[in-house]
Amino acid sequence: MTERTVVDRLRAEYFTLLPDAWRILEELEAEVRHCLLPLLNKLDKHEKLTVTSRIKDCESALGALRRRQEGAVFDPDRADKYSLKDLNDFAGVRVLAFPRSRWIEADDLLRQHSQFALWTSDPVRVRPNDVEAEPLAFKYYGYCPRNTALRAELQIAPMLIGLFWEVEHSAIYKPSPHLKGVLAGMDERTIKVYEALKDFESEFERLIRRDPLKVKRKKRKKKKKKRVR
Amino acid sequence: MLTVEGKKQVLEDAGYAYSFDRLSYINRHARKVFSIEFVQDNSEAKLKACINQPTAPGEWKFYFNLEPSDSVKREFLRSITR
Repeated sequence: MTERTVVDRLRAEYFTLLPDAWRILEELEAEVRHCLLPLLNKLDKHEKLTVTSRIKDCESALGALRRRQEGAVFDPDRADKYSLKDLNDFAGVRVLAFPRSRWIEADDLLRQHSQFALWTSDPVRVRPNDVEAEPLAFKYYGYCPRNTALRAELQIAPMLIGLFWEVEHSAIYKPSPHLKGVLAGMDERTIKVYEALKDFESEFERLIRRDPLKVKRKKRKKKKKKRVR
Repeated sequence: MLTVEGKKQVLEDAGYAYSFDRLSYINRHARKVFSIEFVQDNSEAKLKACINQPTAPGEWKFYFNLEPSDSVKREFLRSITR
């Protein structure tokens, strides 16, 4: 009989972890929806807030773990050092909000929740090293109370960017072999898309007089006032 | 230190192609591999010095931040010659 490869072992682990992952996902999604209820109830007609969840499919999970290794290969002689439990996003919930002010409010609400306050913040940035720039999306990962073996991820993104990612990720992260060369030079264009989407929302909010930064500034002012008192 | 874009150009000018599957720059003729981590963490001068290093006939050189084990090298080469 041939020996099991690293990938064989990880596929077996995937299906062992799956029932727990589903339980985590249901709990996490329920928690997120509960936290967002106050916001959902006050949305204007033109505003949107959606909550979706997913378990990483088997091949994506293996691919994500493989890409974490230098050279993106598993060491066949050290098969036991790999585990899908090392992934931060085996189970994940995504919140999409429109317009941007609601995105920031959703993040504030969720961050205040005791469970997520303890999670690690890992915001998505245009350029990973540019920590001063406003993130493209907020992202947190950690353990749910009933399971400390598998981490889950919570992502809160502006809806326009989240919807763009649905198309862009499937084209760039999971490309067809014949597309790989073509997509090599897409980074700058992708950044332009982010800027255009941000511009669109900023102008939209300016027109309806709901500036997300103003909301943040107001909150900061209030906090400062409280401190002074 | 150049930006990753600038270093990418240095590698491409030297005949290296980026592999999306292996997250590395590979030159089959020169028999050399640069991991993306190595490219990000090292200067243009260092990259140029590595590009100019001679390779023993029939051998591959791996420029990784962590020296890969023989089994990783074998697995890597198997995957790119499939």
